[in-house]
Amino acid sequence: MSRALSWLLGGRRPLASHLLLAPASLWLLFLLVIPAGGLIALSFAKNGAYGAIVWEFGLQNYRRAFDHKYLPVLFRTLGFAGATTALCLVLGYPVAYFLTFRAGRWRNALLVGLMVPFWSSCLVAYYSWMIVLGKEGLLNTALLRFGFLSAPIGFLYTPFAILLGLVYFYLPFTILPLYASLDKVPRSVIEAAYDLGAGRWTAFWKVTLPLSLPGAVAGCVLTFIPCLGDFLTVEILGGPRYYLLGNLISNQFMMAQDWPFGSALTSILLAGLVGGLWLYQRWEKA
Amino acid sequence: MSKTKRGMAAYVAALFGFLYLPLGVMFVFSFNDARRNVVWRGFTLKWYKALFHDAELMSAMLTSLELAAAAAAIAAILGILASYAMVKHKPFRGRGAYDALLNVPLMMPEVALGVGLLTFLVRAGYELDFTALACSHALICLPYTVAAVRARLISLQESSLEDAAMDLGATEWQAFVKVTLPLAMPAIISGALLSFTVSFQDFVTSFFVAGIGIVTMPIKIYSMMKFGVTPEINALSVCLLLATFTLIGLNAAFAVRPDEASRH
Repeated sequence: MSRALSWLLGGRRPLASHLLLAPASLWLLFLLVIPAGGLIALSFAKNGAYGAIVWEFGLQNYRRAFDHKYLPVLFRTLGFAGATTALCLVLGYPVAYFLTFRAGRWRNALLVGLMVPFWSSCLVAYYSWMIVLGKEGLLNTALLRFGFLSAPIGFLYTPFAILLGLVYFYLPFTILPLYASLDKVPRSVIEAAYDLGAGRWTAFWKVTLPLSLPGAVAGCVLTFIPCLGDFLTVEILGGPRYYLLGNLISNQFMMAQDWPFGSALTSILLAGLVGGLWLYQRWEKA
Repeated sequence: MSKTKRGMAAYVAALFGFLYLPLGVMFVFSFNDARRNVVWRGFTLKWYKALFHDAELMSAMLTSLELAAAAAAIAAILGILASYAMVKHKPFRGRGAYDALLNVPLMMPEVALGVGLLTFLVRAGYELDFTALACSHALICLPYTVAAVRARLISLQESSLEDAAMDLGATEWQAFVKVTLPLAMPAIISGALLSFTVSFQDFVTSFFVAGIGIVTMPIKIYSMMKFGVTPEINALSVCLLLATFTLIGLNAAFAVRPDEASRH
């Protein structure tokens, strides 16, 4: 027994390595690869009565996903993901810059502080935003009291609330890669720019900013891609009028019982994800 | 010059204010003696008391704790075995493929993961029970365990203590049990705590995979939210936040610092 275990741990044969990796691989195979393959297969099937699945191969689900009723949802998803990414980049860059060059001994504390809201449940944070943004919420109460408003505004269930929720949740995803990339910029290069007569802004525009570009792109990818599949934000802060792809998918499985159509939508989401990552890798290599 | 510096510090402070606003609001209003209004009406602990008398809530809490423990345990075992082979074994064919595959659950949108698991389990005729949910949670926890354990094993590799043990006559198994495992334990615990947190807070996967009878904490909160704003959710959220902070603090205590391995 002990000898067999030693053989397994020694790993002088590839078989031992594969055996040690087998439990994790089986897990990934059965709960990730096969389900994803199943969804893709299902996306070509037909929806029968009462949610039954009719195995007639066809592209009807994809055609439906791109028709005039659902195409706006796809565009809206791209729009919200794009806007969130842009906002996160603009709002997050100064923070990453501050963490790298200005924070000094506070740096580690601030980095942890940045991650804490992310680790607290998203559900709970959004609930709290509901309290802030609601008709009788904190923001309206404050604005009314200080006379900025004469009647409460419905901030909740608007594109503003959705964007706020998305930016709130994804900001750390943009800041951390930016920080990692800025941290790698050699200080000597920046100092060399100063020595050669560059002012603060010139040194930033010509040296620091271009060198932090890889982090900016990584941050954008890490924000944009999860945003495409986001589901909870609109579910809580947006409402049905602003359904995104994630909500549409969820509805096909949980409410409409149209699994083939839902599978087609999920396949589109996965295709977008793979395409995005592929582009990113090509950019990284170039 | 110091003006821009101060301006930037003020901006960062404002942004952190934005990030912490919801947490602060929750904390303050969990003690507010008013059901619907957000205006402060006085201090009360009644929402916290109500929590502990809510049997459904307590059972949801128990389910979530059991689920997180099961998922973290499964992910820890799978993760230790996988990272051991990835780090300690000499390079073998297909290592790159395993490496890529192990990170897929991180990049996969949770909605896609959830509906994929749902269709697979239902089509395979498997009941959506606790085991199915725990196995699904273990999947999303796996990348965190692998990352933690792997980093530790790599840093241990440099100190070659295991080689020393084997030079002194220990078998691979003895070296693993007596040297590697104890030295990797902080990372294993750190990975398990991270997994526990991930599973405990997971809403999306549970939303799709949990059968009708299984109510986890986030699912319970979600259904309470659907009925509208009640201060009880604030109190509950504060409890959950404190639990999360404790877990993160514990995790930080166990996390491996890069310089630590060389000290052994």
